[in-house]
Amino acid sequence: MEDITPAIRIQDLRKLYGDKAAVDGLTLTVPQGCFYGFLGPNGAGKTTTIKMLMGLAPPSSGSIELLGMPMPERGLDIKRQIGLVPDESLLFDHLTGAEFIEFVGRIYGIDRQTARERAIELLILFELDNAPRKLIAEYSKGMRKRVAMAAALIHRPKLFLMDEPFEGVDAVGARLMKDILLDQVRRGATIFLTSHVLEVVERLCDRVGIIRSGKLVAEGTMDELRGTAETLEDAFVRAVGVDRVGDRLDWL
Amino acid sequence: MTHASSIVWAQWRTLRNYYPRGGVAWTAIVGFIWYGLWTAFSLALIKVFSEAATLPLIPKLLPTALLIVILYWQFIPLLMATTGSSLELKKLRAYPIPNYELFTLEVLLRLTAGIEMVLALIGITIGMTLNPGLPKWVILPALSYVLFNLVIGVGLRDMLGRLLARKRIREVAFFLFVIAAALPQLIITRRLPRLGILRSFAGEPWIGWPWTAASNLMQGVSIAPSAAILLAWILSAFVFSSWQFTRSLRFDADAANASDSSRPPRTMLMERFYRMPSALLPDPMGALIEKEFRFLMRSSRFRLVFLMGFTFGLLIWLPMALGYGGYRYNPLPGGGSTPFFVRNYLTVVSVYSVLLLSEICFWNSFGFDRSAAQFYFLAPIPFSRVLIAKNITSVFFIMLEISVVTVVCALLGMPLDAITLAEAFSVTAVICLFLLSAGNQQSIRQARGVNPANSFRSGAAGRIQAMLLFLYPIAFAPVALAFLARFAFESEAAFFIVLALDAVLGAIVYKFALESAVQAGEKLKEKMIAALSAADGPVSD
Repeated sequence: MEDITPAIRIQDLRKLYGDKAAVDGLTLTVPQGCFYGFLGPNGAGKTTTIKMLMGLAPPSSGSIELLGMPMPERGLDIKRQIGLVPDESLLFDHLTGAEFIEFVGRIYGIDRQTARERAIELLILFELDNAPRKLIAEYSKGMRKRVAMAAALIHRPKLFLMDEPFEGVDAVGARLMKDILLDQVRRGATIFLTSHVLEVVERLCDRVGIIRSGKLVAEGTMDELRGTAETLEDAFVRAVGVDRVGDRLDWL
Repeated sequence: MTHASSIVWAQWRTLRNYYPRGGVAWTAIVGFIWYGLWTAFSLALIKVFSEAATLPLIPKLLPTALLIVILYWQFIPLLMATTGSSLELKKLRAYPIPNYELFTLEVLLRLTAGIEMVLALIGITIGMTLNPGLPKWVILPALSYVLFNLVIGVGLRDMLGRLLARKRIREVAFFLFVIAAALPQLIITRRLPRLGILRSFAGEPWIGWPWTAASNLMQGVSIAPSAAILLAWILSAFVFSSWQFTRSLRFDADAANASDSSRPPRTMLMERFYRMPSALLPDPMGALIEKEFRFLMRSSRFRLVFLMGFTFGLLIWLPMALGYGGYRYNPLPGGGSTPFFVRNYLTVVSVYSVLLLSEICFWNSFGFDRSAAQFYFLAPIPFSRVLIAKNITSVFFIMLEISVVTVVCALLGMPLDAITLAEAFSVTAVICLFLLSAGNQQSIRQARGVNPANSFRSGAAGRIQAMLLFLYPIAFAPVALAFLARFAFESEAAFFIVLALDAVLGAIVYKFALESAVQAGEKLKEKMIAALSAADGPVSD
């Protein structure tokens, strides 16, 4: 029997910084096995939302359920089943790629030997095995994203939370990462990602949510959002209400 | 504790990967010297406490020693704005690690804030165990006392960490904390009417204190009540610290520091202050210094050490000036019987303030401004201008600090005359010249990224500490010569003549050191930028 528990259920989520709401009454549901794109302009509240989902920032109000379990009440059980591609600052710069992936594997309860073997396999899969002694501090931006994604996969999570996973990744790397992610979805995993690269979202995602000033302004399948003969970019611009007149600067 | 072993493993790999690229030799040398001294002290304690003749002194000696242990372990690191190693909770929170494991690890990491005290306690414990007149199970209360210190250390650190992360109350809270910490010794020094609580610190020890209870247990005195008291302290420390730790895990610094849009904007006064360099100097120098002003004034770490200079710096030396150590020596003609520390109080506090500001102003001037370092190499300005701008800013804030110290000294009624002022400012200026010369080199060769938003550092880099062991005596030697000249010739003129010569020498050294630093910057910029971009492992050192 198919599990109908949503992978993510967010109810009236709010995050206040002073008197400013970074996330303002967000409600959304992501079904299991869905590839969900979470879009929004800069400062819209995407990263704050994903940080709350990861348990890195407590919500001011509202509720979060991941894989049917409330966050933060069952934070530990949830974290065991999710894979994170977080902000780059959460990497440990003075470890090599293999050491970092092994470390993450062991933190998720995988025994040392298995973690080491999987780390090496993942490194090869993500084409990071050319310089095994290279420290993460010496990685390029794209390599850092790749190693973060490799680490997220090591414990075969049911749900992936990814913050800008394709940022700075070259075309070959992006293609590789997309293939791996699509494969994960085919195996029943759920992916929730934020991205600025609309083409990637358009090609990969089943459903898309668009957030603006902390509020969800559009949500649906790709077809529902695009309507007729529109690209996702058109739909996005329309949804976030870009109405600024392109003023010209005299000196420019 | 499966996660604990993974974290320890990752930290070990982090250190192993990091140090071969840095100065492991320096770290080893400084560690050897520093901990060698403490080991020697520990051996001396074994000797003292194992003697049968010491037995009558132990009831007085031991509680005081244990009080010093707790003060050194818990309060001095906080006052020096350094708290040893701690877990990178920001990074580890994302993973499925039970809170109790993180807490246990954090407790163990408190050892790094008081290794010296562990060595001292080992000496005392072994000595007492060997003492024929004392019980042989002294190690049990000694270990309990270590446990108490470890556990309470987590709570204090977390509580202060959160408190100081709130920018609105950070400075005020720290100021009050410093005053509170220095108040007992001030009252005792001034021979003000002693309160009962102070008597228990300075005179007869009250049985209820953890150090008194541990001391009694170690001596086999009042065993049952002392054991109950120590146990109660440990349990209370555990409850307090686990509560504080859980709160720290949930703490969201961004939310705590978010400002209401209804608050009035920054005053024009600050804006005028920031604009001051641009009004006085042409660009790019004006722009560079203005940027430094803005950056430093907005950096929590800088504000904290600046505040410490004229609060903690004044208070720590005040008891000496008011009595303790203010011995009657003054070589100046007509100097009468003005105590040495009263006579030189302003100079001593000024130099101490320079030391407090030295990490930001001299030794790691790019580390607090890590993101700007790349820009400096890209901008169409000579790199020497950047260094000079940073140096001018440092000198400005050091002189501002000493001016504030002077005002506070005047308010305290310290004897201040033209010579005292000239001495304090000129000595500081000369020391600054030498420290800037060394600091420019150090900032480039040993650049290390630091979060300027952190109120206190978890620990200085070993390499920097090692270098300072050599650099400070060299930088202070010319000024020491000036003091020596005053002593030898009993003349202020001799003092200022030597100081003037020091200044000339300092200027020459600065010029050559600056040129060398610029060359080093050009050569090492890639390494420097990489070092500034790097973050810590699961444990920040």
